[in-house]
Amino acid sequence: MVRLRFILALWLSKCARLALRLVRRNATYFPGFLALRLCPDFLRYVGKPEKIIAVTGSNGKTTVSNLLCDVLAGKGYRVLGNRLGSNVAAGIATSLLAGSTVFGKTQYEMAVLEVDERSSKRIYPFVKPDYLIITNLFRDSIMRNAHPQYIAGFIEEAVPETTKLILNADDLISSAICPENPRAHFGLGPMKTDVETCVNLINDVQICPVCCGELVYDYRRYHHIGKAHCRGCGFASPQSEYFAREIDTDAGTMTVADKNGEMSYRLLSGSVFNIYNMVTVIAALRELGLSHAEIRQGLDTASIVETRYNARKAGGVTIIMQMSKDKNALAGSRAFDYISGLPGRKEIILMMNCAHDQQHWSENTAWLYDCDFEFLNRETITRIVATGPRAKDYCLRLLLAGVPEEKIRCAFHELDAPDLLEYAEGSSICLLYGTDVLALVYKVQAKLEKLAQEASVQ
Amino acid sequence: MKIEVLYPEACYLYGDLMNIEYLRRSLPQAEIIRTPLRAPPAFLNGDVDLVCLCSMTERAQELVTAALRPHTKQIKALIDGGTIFLVTGNALEVFIRYIENEDGSRMEALGLFDLIAKRRMADRYNSLYLGKFGEIDIVGFKSQFTHTYGDGAAGLFETVRGAGRNPGVKPEGIRKNNFMATYVLGPLLILNPPFTRHIAGLLGAPERPLAFEAAAMDSYLLRLKEFSDPRRGFDY
Repeated sequence: MVRLRFILALWLSKCARLALRLVRRNATYFPGFLALRLCPDFLRYVGKPEKIIAVTGSNGKTTVSNLLCDVLAGKGYRVLGNRLGSNVAAGIATSLLAGSTVFGKTQYEMAVLEVDERSSKRIYPFVKPDYLIITNLFRDSIMRNAHPQYIAGFIEEAVPETTKLILNADDLISSAICPENPRAHFGLGPMKTDVETCVNLINDVQICPVCCGELVYDYRRYHHIGKAHCRGCGFASPQSEYFAREIDTDAGTMTVADKNGEMSYRLLSGSVFNIYNMVTVIAALRELGLSHAEIRQGLDTASIVETRYNARKAGGVTIIMQMSKDKNALAGSRAFDYISGLPGRKEIILMMNCAHDQQHWSENTAWLYDCDFEFLNRETITRIVATGPRAKDYCLRLLLAGVPEEKIRCAFHELDAPDLLEYAEGSSICLLYGTDVLALVYKVQAKLEKLAQEASVQ
Repeated sequence: MKIEVLYPEACYLYGDLMNIEYLRRSLPQAEIIRTPLRAPPAFLNGDVDLVCLCSMTERAQELVTAALRPHTKQIKALIDGGTIFLVTGNALEVFIRYIENEDGSRMEALGLFDLIAKRRMADRYNSLYLGKFGEIDIVGFKSQFTHTYGDGAAGLFETVRGAGRNPGVKPEGIRKNNFMATYVLGPLLILNPPFTRHIAGLLGAPERPLAFEAAAMDSYLLRLKEFSDPRRGFDY
């Protein structure tokens, strides 16, 4: 009976997928959703590849999954992924049913699955990963994710005992998950941009997880990411089995060492986040048995799609599009830090506006006070336009961050913002945007480009 | 004027700490004391004017309760004597009888107020909040795993829209003399300049303008108008 139900769910969801694709939809969620509705145990019965690698964490899971798929596919493995789709249970079900025969048998030998942290309980009991990569755990939405220790709990209670964890040694939250499981760590050695004292408002690991004494950071990248030890009880960050050193962002190289050797790699991106992503990928591939030479060959032809950052010239101005996830203080802090460090004069539009929230309630703006707007208080930033329904809140937050009042403008209507900027030759205009209203973002971008072109002609 | 922030290395969630920064900017004469978990609280010396405790993780609630338990009598004496306390988010629960988990287990708290909390980690409650502190309108946000039950304390705010100590009652938070605890989390003082003015008055600085008061009032009045609109949804 159960088998019959599964087959029925499989066939109907396969038909739904086919129909959706015929009308040019991605069909990465609904078929799996349907399968799970028809057969709640669908994930238990659908065929799974022999080796399963799951990738989870607050940041970097998409990049890591994509790189892993690219390198493994390049080596000739038949790899199933959920690259185009959803990372919740329905998305995973969609990927597995798409990769199975009409009788539910898998056609792949390996799966690399990006998994939403909160979906762990619905996925891992049925799709048992051989390896679980946790990139990091940070704060996200206050409403949904509360705090990173809460999210760690979701993963911890769902991971099978036999799963080998591949963990970030520089993150004391994720590296502490499931201490009894087999594990390997990756980490980055000291970098010239490191600090000892936290300069961020979000700093989620300040006390020793063992004795609650003061933690001392030997070096710190940002927030709680770094290498720490406790003076009281001797607790320290775990040692990295896969360790990146000689990281040279100017030359674009790093060396990754493990017990069996080391290799120099070309950096795919100079951002610290993406260096972590690369080392994560290298650690996972080494665990899967690839040699450094094979991994380097694979990564040399790979690239990181910078969907969150885009810069192009319009007249004499560079228009920079930088995504900064709505309601996410950490994403905002990282984006502000990056943008404020770019060379030259900059003007900024803040458009991380939860327009959809505004339709049915009012955005919880507490995150503004966890987010480092202080990075925007720089001489090279000459004007900041706060937009949208919460523009007044942004203006107040900018004032508290020390930004002089004369630099701040307020535009309730986002399309008015470009009119409030100067388009000085050689300067940059940065549009920091959330994902809530992309259509409006593109309209603002188009207007920026038009005004920049006009200013150039004049 | 002394303001003590208890255990900021463990109580740092949701922007609550910016309330203290706002007080520092508004009251430059104030001395801010940040007391770590392993140090005795400055309030034991009897010369602290305002004690602050902010939102924290569930694990930190245990640590903070353990750190404060030896000083329960002194805290009670300070509350009875009129010392100002500002307690935000789930820090409120440190001062009640206990927190009950889904499985029936309990975390015993300080027992200073005859209230209990029920924690449901799978059921996060998110809402806007509109209430009254005397004649002052209060706006804010709630995002929590717990609600508090019982009649063993007066409320700090009287709820107009949103949940009180639990969704079924109007009193929100706890008030006794100048002890003020509320589930309204985040930048409560920045969002509510009239309430901040009241606290500044308690601290002996009723006339001094608040930091960026005009901008804060602009933001406050806009939010108050939004939250007072009956068509505005309040639950996330």
